[in-house]
Amino acid sequence: MNKTIQTPGVLAAAIAMAVLAGCASQETTAGTSAADKTMAAKVSKGPAPLAPLPAPPIPPDNQQTPEKIELGKLLFFDARIGGDASTGCSTCHEPDQGWAWAEDFSRGYPGTVHWRNSQTIINSAYFPRQFWAGSAASNEKQAKSAAKGGVAGNGEDDIMEARLALIPDYVQRFRKVFGTDWPHIGDVWKAIASFERTMVQRDTPLDKYLQGDKTALSEEAIRGKAVFEGKGGCIQCHNGALTSDQDYYNIGVPPNKRWEEDGLAQITFRFEQYAKGQTEENYRKAKSDWGFYYRSKNEWDKGKFRTAPLRYLKYTAPYMHNGVFYTLEEVVDFYDRGGFDEEGRTTLFTETKSPLIKPLGLTDQEKEDLVAFLESMSGPEIIIEKPKLPEYAPLFTKAELEAAQEAK
Amino acid sequence: MGVRVKTGHTILATALGLGLAFGAQAGKYPDLGPLPALKVNAAKAELGKRLFFDKRLSGDAGIACATCHVPENGFGSVKALSPGYPGNGHFRNAPSLINVAQKKVWNWDGRIGTNLNDMTREMITEDYIMNMDMRIMQERIKQDPKYLEMFKAAGMGEPSNGKVRKLIPEYLKTLTSRNAPFDTGKMSAAAKRGMKLFKGKAGCIQCHNGPLASDGKAHNTGVPENFDVFLDPMNHQAFLAFAMFQGIENYMNLKRDPGYYNVTLDKDDMGKFITPSLRELKYTAPYMHNGMLKTLDDVIAFYNKGGGKDSRKSKLLKPLNLSKKEQADLKAFLLSLSGDPLTSDKYVWKEPYPSEYPVIENWTQVKN
Repeated sequence: MNKTIQTPGVLAAAIAMAVLAGCASQETTAGTSAADKTMAAKVSKGPAPLAPLPAPPIPPDNQQTPEKIELGKLLFFDARIGGDASTGCSTCHEPDQGWAWAEDFSRGYPGTVHWRNSQTIINSAYFPRQFWAGSAASNEKQAKSAAKGGVAGNGEDDIMEARLALIPDYVQRFRKVFGTDWPHIGDVWKAIASFERTMVQRDTPLDKYLQGDKTALSEEAIRGKAVFEGKGGCIQCHNGALTSDQDYYNIGVPPNKRWEEDGLAQITFRFEQYAKGQTEENYRKAKSDWGFYYRSKNEWDKGKFRTAPLRYLKYTAPYMHNGVFYTLEEVVDFYDRGGFDEEGRTTLFTETKSPLIKPLGLTDQEKEDLVAFLESMSGPEIIIEKPKLPEYAPLFTKAELEAAQEAK
Repeated sequence: MGVRVKTGHTILATALGLGLAFGAQAGKYPDLGPLPALKVNAAKAELGKRLFFDKRLSGDAGIACATCHVPENGFGSVKALSPGYPGNGHFRNAPSLINVAQKKVWNWDGRIGTNLNDMTREMITEDYIMNMDMRIMQERIKQDPKYLEMFKAAGMGEPSNGKVRKLIPEYLKTLTSRNAPFDTGKMSAAAKRGMKLFKGKAGCIQCHNGPLASDGKAHNTGVPENFDVFLDPMNHQAFLAFAMFQGIENYMNLKRDPGYYNVTLDKDDMGKFITPSLRELKYTAPYMHNGMLKTLDDVIAFYNKGGGKDSRKSKLLKPLNLSKKEQADLKAFLLSLSGDPLTSDKYVWKEPYPSEYPVIENWTQVKN
């Protein structure tokens, strides 16, 4: 890798990179190259400061139009986008449960339970990747994956498309928005993503404060901000406008005890090992969620999950990928202890636990202030009226069928 | 071929000749007869039986194989169109599973021509049927101590979805005709007369031949479409999903069931369906691929007039001109091919299934 290079500029750069790489390897045991780069950035430049949320990014191949958004909203609430017409997007992303689900594990398709916490769709538009391990590369892909997943929507393309073709209002809307004769399943995901891109919250107390309104945060919250950016160290990962660096870490969350107590949860646990391509050896021994490992199959990625955004937190309890903490106070205590719950439990993968997680020594006042600050990242609760969904109608008349019978 | 007689009796001779010719044709088809006995592994069949009646083999745990293949209805459906998966309807009648292990092709359109393992998989995984991700099914089975015990007793080791696809066919082998008067030699006089018609004047034997009374081939008899398939969006969506998945073109404009066309993509095969077995008809009304013929009287009347309307209808069908008595005798014969109902606990799993999954104790210490 190291060639001798004569040009001074390049040599300097090479030295700088070697120094940073050296720093990175001292800071962490290992990481993906993306994580190493981010770590290097943290060391040299510091994390991106908290900032107001800009307008959400819109992909060039799925531009927003009012009609597309309206169609996406209908589809988001329509359980006919799913297997047995009981489980649609809003079934696990309920508006009055923070557009998520208020249990540790999301509910699953009937007859199943999920194995991870349902995340809010609010502000999901800003994330280049979706899901706790980032396995979907867009909102469009997330919608498809969730609608079809065995313990989620359990839908199949054929039956979902067939249903849409028999709902005249949908046929008209898809024709108008996408120009197709009959609804295509791929356009369903586009429409849903388009609706999700309007579900953003840019006017939280924190946003207002960062835009210059110094009265927007309470004194408590302002003190909490100082903890967040200083002694608490939260900003190392929860940074930028998104309050997340989009990176993957093992922060020491212990396994969810539900797998020891709930037969239905045990079934899903084993299914997920199988579905995510574990070897037989690992399928037999896995006793917690291996997280990012399932995507990279690298040992050093075990137990890593994406930094969750902190916006809209007030409404999305419980917290963490497996929902083990029910209040923000529990979360703060967890971090304060250096990544241990109140029973002293931590991740099963102690070897990949991030060195950024260490006991903080926060006072009770600092903890309260920090929680107040965290809450300031949520604006008012976003509740919308569930739309009335369009109905089925027969495609043919009896007369048409009789004529076809005659023509046989 | 004809009987030669002196001039003046030519017409009679021709008629006689034709009659004899027809009778001679009956000899060229495999005869009706008893079914070969099947060897069955009792422990595996018992396990397959519990699986067959278990709703947890469907995605949302709402339906079992037995939901559409009902023991009281000859392991078929009592309505014209089978129930579907929760959330949709269906577009065909559920065929009887009695003697299904003796068939060589399965489904009304004959699209499965390999074995019951493949057939079982199709039923379990299709989105408009049981919509099951078999990896979840496998884990559900592993969570049930009764299954773990039964798998062990059958020498099958740890449950897997591949094994399920072998066990259900083993159970299906137990579903055979029992004590049909035709098989036990106890046919009534009317039934015996009916059999003669079946093999002669009525011409049924041309397709309904062999021990199953089915040639396993596809024919178009002009059965009218069941408009409920297309007028009820719940049924129509299942039909469309099927057509899409099978790769049938122009499916949005289909106003008829394409049948065997699905297999060959030959326009001449449009509307052909596989000859069903005539055994156990006593229990399997209504009849035909779409349940459009409600009773055996309707079926006989249908054939008596030469079948239905279809430009591709089989040339084998012509008006039969059977008298009322002949029709009654034919019906008696058809019924003699039906045996005992298979509704005892020998064929039906009657114990309740658990409503919850037990917890595996000491989960963090034991292997998955």
